[in-house]
Amino acid sequence: MGAEGTEGISVMVVDDHPMWRDGVARDLVERGFEVRATAGDEAAAVRIAGTVRPDVVLMDLNLGTGSGVTAIGEITGALPATRVLVLSASGEHADVLEAVKAGASGYLVKSASVEELVDAVRRTAAGDAVFTPGLAGLVLGEYRRMAAAPPGDGLPSVTQRETEVLRLVAKGLTARQIASRLRLSHRTVENHVQSTLRKLQLHNRVELARYAIEHGLDTDPESDGGPQ
Amino acid sequence: MTAQVRVPKDPTVPLWRAAVLLRVLTLLFAAVVVVTYLDEYARPWLALVTIGVMAGWTGVVSARYLRPTDRLLGFTVADLAVSCAAMSASRLVLTPEQLAGGSTPLVTTVWVTGVVAAGAVGGGPTVGAVFGGVVSAFNYGVRGYVDIDLTRDLFLLVGVGFVLGLAAASSRRSAERLARALRVEAATAERERLARSIHDSVLQVLARVRRRGAELGAGGEAVELARLAGEQEIALRTLVSTAPGTTGEDDTADLAARLRLLATGRAEVSVPATEVRLPATVAAELESVVAEALANVVRHAGPDARAWVLLEDLGTEVVVSVRDDGVGIAPGRLAEAEREGRLGIASSMRGRIADLGGTIAVETEPGAGVEWELKVPRASR
Repeated sequence: MGAEGTEGISVMVVDDHPMWRDGVARDLVERGFEVRATAGDEAAAVRIAGTVRPDVVLMDLNLGTGSGVTAIGEITGALPATRVLVLSASGEHADVLEAVKAGASGYLVKSASVEELVDAVRRTAAGDAVFTPGLAGLVLGEYRRMAAAPPGDGLPSVTQRETEVLRLVAKGLTARQIASRLRLSHRTVENHVQSTLRKLQLHNRVELARYAIEHGLDTDPESDGGPQ
Repeated sequence: MTAQVRVPKDPTVPLWRAAVLLRVLTLLFAAVVVVTYLDEYARPWLALVTIGVMAGWTGVVSARYLRPTDRLLGFTVADLAVSCAAMSASRLVLTPEQLAGGSTPLVTTVWVTGVVAAGAVGGGPTVGAVFGGVVSAFNYGVRGYVDIDLTRDLFLLVGVGFVLGLAAASSRRSAERLARALRVEAATAERERLARSIHDSVLQVLARVRRRGAELGAGGEAVELARLAGEQEIALRTLVSTAPGTTGEDDTADLAARLRLLATGRAEVSVPATEVRLPATVAAELESVVAEALANVVRHAGPDARAWVLLEDLGTEVVVSVRDDGVGIAPGRLAEAEREGRLGIASSMRGRIADLGGTIAVETEPGAGVEWELKVPRASR
């Protein structure tokens, strides 16, 4: 029973639990997705993703060997066309936020239904940011935290409108409900949501670069050992 | 808590040892002084008796202070009495000229510093300073006059008592903190181990049951089982992934952690990734108001209503929103209930939030659910 709009979308499933991994892979295949590969740990995920180049990597964050965040950074860094959708246990808070900052474009709890999963994978492949209310709360909190910190020069901040949209997402409103409440088009709401995520990822890259400059380039560039 | 915690031994033990060492060394010094001046004293035999008593007493206090397990304050007071008595004996030992001259030391000399140290280590800065003051008072009394040298001794004794007392008190405090931190660490490690093992076993199976059950039959018993498995899965996930809402050392609690525990299959809770620390009483009150709002959703919003809780930390205030997509409340019904004096949900919640210095706003329309917004200011820190 294929679902609409799933044809031709290639997916890779990363989870260290074979039972869950194979179940999800089977669900996706039944709905018409092409599951190109599965992986059970971070190293394999990065290696295999580089070879099979899926449209969407469905990534568990609790991989036993690590949080998966590093793998997400490496995959999105090396494969600009590949999007990462985090499929994780609810409440893995700091991890989910780190994953999104590292480049994941969405997050879905494992307790979501198959229909929600299919929809999320399809939207992720289309370039949308998949936001749960939980993730919106995390992103909102992160922007509030950054706003409280001393202002970084040139770092992006969210607009009032984007904050408003994020709050409504966090309160469980759908994009359509938000659009009607704020009298915006559905597309504009989606764009606002994506924009908050992109800015957060940009912010993260700028911070990483700044950290590298402060901690690496201050010392003699000839020496390859960084400061302690 | 079953985790084994190595509680650090009494942190003042090294200080007690040093105080005893000081006592013994100053006793030897006093003995040398007595031998030196023996021929010039008015009553040499009394000098020897005094030194003998001091030696015996030094033995007694050393034995006692080296195992400072019991309450010591009474004993240190006895120590103070004996020390001052020994000091007073000098009044009879020394000739009036020696007493008035100031160049001949008292029989006890610096040995009396020992009791000030003991008082300070045992009782803290105040007791230490008082002991120093008492010894100095006897110093003045035995000599019978006031001069710069004696006053310098006063400052030294009171100062030593105070500083040593502070050192003892602060080392006790840090040992307590360390013990508490070790206990928390052990509890956290145990909890994480438990969470990992639950995640690796029960949760995977529950998740699978839920998914397969949902696929097996629309409307059948399998769907009901899947729903139950799903609810338990969410509850368990939340439980194992939420840090205990520990009350911090400064009597604050993390509201984010506490609110997350309210998540159910029907209620989703969104909080920042960082802690939202509030005074423990405020956090508890907010948590219970949110719980009340969620209970109200279950009672009145309809069987299919879902709820969302959002916690935001704005620095100067904390905002909690509780929204549901249920049947809503007709305009005026809340106000009506309040006017009639029925202690409805609104007035109860309103009163509790007002007690915290906050505000509560509600928006509702029939068919559009209810949305509460609680704002509570942060007390200036």
